[in-house]
Amino acid sequence: MKRESKVSNTIIFFVLLIGAIVMIAPLLWMVSTSFKDKSGVFSLPPEWIPAPFLTDAYERLFELDQLWSGIKNSIIVSFSVTIVGTITSSLAAFSFAKLRLPFKNLIFLMLLIGIMIPYPSIMIPQFVIFSKIGWVNTLFPLIIPGMFGNITMIFFLKQYLSNVPDSIIEAAKIDGAGYFQIFTKLIFPAIKPAIAAQFILWFMGAWNDYLAPLLYLNSPEKQTLQVVIANLNASYAIQTDYPLIMAASVISLIPVLTIFIIFQKQIIESVALSAVKG
Amino acid sequence: MMNRKRFFSATLTIASILTLAACGGANSSTSDSTGADGEEGKTLTFMFRGGEDEKKAYETAIAAYEAENPGVQVEIISTDADQYATKLQASIAGNDIPDVFYVGQGDVMAYVDNGILMDLTEAVENSDFDLDNVWKYGVDSYRYDGNNIGSGNIYGLPKDVGPFALGYNKTMFEEMGIPLPDIDVPYTWDEFVDVGLQLTADTDGDGEVDQWANGFNVAWSLQAFVWSNGADFLNEDNTKVTIDTPEFAEALQYFADLQNVHNLTPSIAQAQTLDTYQRWMNGEIGFFPVGPWDMSTYEGLDFEYDLIPWPAGSTGESASFVGSLGIAVSEGTEYKDEAVELAMYLSTSEEGQQQLVDAQIQIPNLIDMAEEWASDTESVPSNKKEFLDVVGVYGRGLPAATTYTSEWYDEFFINIQPVLDGDQTAADYLKSVQPKMQELLDASIMQHEQAAN
Amino acid sequence: MEVTDKKITDVNKNIKRKSQLYKDEQKAAIAFIIIPVIGFIVFSMIPFFISLYASFTDWNGIGQMNFIGLANYKSLFKDEYFWKTLYNTFYLMLGIPIGLMISFLLASALSRRIVGKTIFRVIYYIPVVSSLAAISILWQWAYNGDFGLVNQVLDIFGIQGPNWLQNVNTVKPAIIIMAVWKGVGYSMLLYLAAIQSVPRTFYEAAELDGANAFQRFRFITWPMVKPITFFLIVTNIIGGSQVFTEVNIMTPTGGPQYSSATVVWYLWRQAFNNWKMGYASAISVVLGLIIFIITALQFYMNRRSNYKLD
Repeated sequence: MKRESKVSNTIIFFVLLIGAIVMIAPLLWMVSTSFKDKSGVFSLPPEWIPAPFLTDAYERLFELDQLWSGIKNSIIVSFSVTIVGTITSSLAAFSFAKLRLPFKNLIFLMLLIGIMIPYPSIMIPQFVIFSKIGWVNTLFPLIIPGMFGNITMIFFLKQYLSNVPDSIIEAAKIDGAGYFQIFTKLIFPAIKPAIAAQFILWFMGAWNDYLAPLLYLNSPEKQTLQVVIANLNASYAIQTDYPLIMAASVISLIPVLTIFIIFQKQIIESVALSAVKG
Repeated sequence: MMNRKRFFSATLTIASILTLAACGGANSSTSDSTGADGEEGKTLTFMFRGGEDEKKAYETAIAAYEAENPGVQVEIISTDADQYATKLQASIAGNDIPDVFYVGQGDVMAYVDNGILMDLTEAVENSDFDLDNVWKYGVDSYRYDGNNIGSGNIYGLPKDVGPFALGYNKTMFEEMGIPLPDIDVPYTWDEFVDVGLQLTADTDGDGEVDQWANGFNVAWSLQAFVWSNGADFLNEDNTKVTIDTPEFAEALQYFADLQNVHNLTPSIAQAQTLDTYQRWMNGEIGFFPVGPWDMSTYEGLDFEYDLIPWPAGSTGESASFVGSLGIAVSEGTEYKDEAVELAMYLSTSEEGQQQLVDAQIQIPNLIDMAEEWASDTESVPSNKKEFLDVVGVYGRGLPAATTYTSEWYDEFFINIQPVLDGDQTAADYLKSVQPKMQELLDASIMQHEQAAN
Repeated sequence: MEVTDKKITDVNKNIKRKSQLYKDEQKAAIAFIIIPVIGFIVFSMIPFFISLYASFTDWNGIGQMNFIGLANYKSLFKDEYFWKTLYNTFYLMLGIPIGLMISFLLASALSRRIVGKTIFRVIYYIPVVSSLAAISILWQWAYNGDFGLVNQVLDIFGIQGPNWLQNVNTVKPAIIIMAVWKGVGYSMLLYLAAIQSVPRTFYEAAELDGANAFQRFRFITWPMVKPITFFLIVTNIIGGSQVFTEVNIMTPTGGPQYSSATVVWYLWRQAFNNWKMGYASAISVVLGLIIFIITALQFYMNRRSNYKLD
């Protein structure tokens, strides 16, 4: 866009900069706290640069066996759910958006109901069900339901697909392509940015979830990272080792952020669609 | 073509599920493990919540227990304090109850009525567990006769007793040239205000007050004033809410006036607990409550602090509350004897208690051990005996500890802010909230009766 | 005669092929959605029905379920705290339009040629990927009346900030600010994807036709991102109705005079503090119903203004 004026872009830059500082300030605080000593957390006035500056919390963190098992378990859960779930969700989105099926809008709305029910109320019945089939203290209750698809992702992909013209699908059908082929060759590439955006969100949701894992996972070696972090809270708030918790939260942030940085290029590229329009 | 592709995708999904099942199956929890002799060992599960220090202390106790009971292994389930109740309830609903677990004072009635807790009376009597050497308050908190807490059979052993004592900043008193409080004789309410007025000052001459007498949180400190003035939240048999008495109103008004009339507390005094905690730790506050769990954090304080009895109202005697957390055994446990033994170990094993005390997490459950610990007046706080006095002499359980639910009690604090801000008199508030609390208490009693049937 | 016969058989063949194609399409459509549907039935519907049944009982969560009819629902309607928390929950949703506007502006800004675009995108997204629990603790500190971050900044401008989380009037706005802060990166990213997917040719054609920047926005960009806006509003309302963790951490007692307590927070307390699982189930059924009606309304209104690209 040659018409963008340098002046307006510079102004925008500064506005973005201020916004970025606001975005990142609490997290800088998180990092700063992770380098303090226990009582430094509560010092008045609050200090940004910890004095003394200690990497103590990180040392204690890395000595915790559960940290590593927590990361491992979180990785297993987050990846299995998102990878398989993405496939099922995108197929479903394709169907809802582009294929003809009687009552499909009704079915879609019904699936949407799934997230309208407040979690606490289905939490216990779900637990009872999983308990009866012996899945308590395993990672299954956290993985299997998600593999069946994520309605938020389906919804979003469905919306995104409304910008993909029906005509190209018709054309492919006339050419004799099967529906799965249409999906893999036409649809999937077209919605890659949308999938990437939702994948990140889903991965992050699974990674940061702590209520469900807390309920189902008992043994320390099964627990996911968020549960490990939550368990670091002592019974009495004053005894809680905040630097340790903040250090753990910082570490927990890194994998998700990495995935985001890798995927965000996917989200921004729009080559596929433009090529189709061409 | 399309069919084949669909078939493949379906098999792929199923295959991945099966693979995970195979991996997961190998890791699923088992209830039996092989003992050292190759015979079937026993595994007990112990669910608790707490920080690393507590965990280490309990691991010591468990190691001692396992040494004395070969063939028994204990698996610790540690969980977040906040969600402990939820997780326990879920495990009960799913019939997957841990063998030994923490139970809150206020929950004992509900759990016993629903047959969750094992009756420990016989086991305790038959063992060499010396009940007399454990704080009576701790033991009685887990006695239940079907109607009331405090008497009857034993359904749990104390994990700890938590006395809420009053501390003061000794260094501040010395710097201001004010005579130190007496560690045996409590202040009267008037004396407390007087001392407070002397403490609240602008110490660096910049025109702003930077030191205050106190910063109490109404949820944890009001009881001391109410009780020592002869009032109470409930009547003797826990059926009536008795807050609309003149003595209670006087206590609540006095409490609010500390802030509004005498200005003895920091201005933004809607006590966000950590708020005034931090001021106290920074040496800006004269009086502040201290529990045993605070001691480890307070070690790093710049000033010397000590413990004194709470100011006494019209009764002339101090009062404060004592909390407690218990250890219970599941009624459905497979290994009854071993589980009870474990509970006793966790509650009173000397090694475990010593480690907890050394980590400054709690005071010992064993009276003789506690007295020995308190006899050390060299280390700060010097008047450790105050903790023992609260537990043994003038402390009481929180009102909700003896009722079926705490909903009626929580109601009291929801709308209390206007009183504390000086926008409503204590008497008015108490009159208006008593009926609501009574209604909730009645509902709770009804719940209790239904469950007991 | 032969020619017309052949034509008829040809037409018949065409009709047959079309309905065969239609059947194939249906089969594929069903095959692709069957998995989520099964998942929904097993993991959402069945537990929901159990919970629905529980709402008609006096279940305390650990004991038996005794049928008590509509008693829970009757108490629900008389429960002033239920209505208060419902009000709080919807009040908190005021953050949704604010957040969407901010994120749309951000996305537009970041789709221009700005120095450090990628870094900005990452920074704006960091709050989204952080765990809600850690964020809630951080903001709880930030909102501290005496020395929290927020009041420190206000201090620079000479404004004395209130004790955000303890003041009846400021606690909800405080939570809204935090929620917007956390969510803006996500909406921004989705808008970015949508904005970038608008083919440049559209804009170029419009420019040739003499459209100015505002017109280009109004007639090209905005309609193209409408599906995203719809998605964000629907999902944010559904998500907003279930706010629990933030409130539980930042205002563990429900805020001053229950002014920050949300419905889910309230039902959580009823279920796990007060042994009233049956009552809590009733609350969640009512909440679910309200949200369902709102969502269905949204879908109905959206259908009429559907924009499809052919």
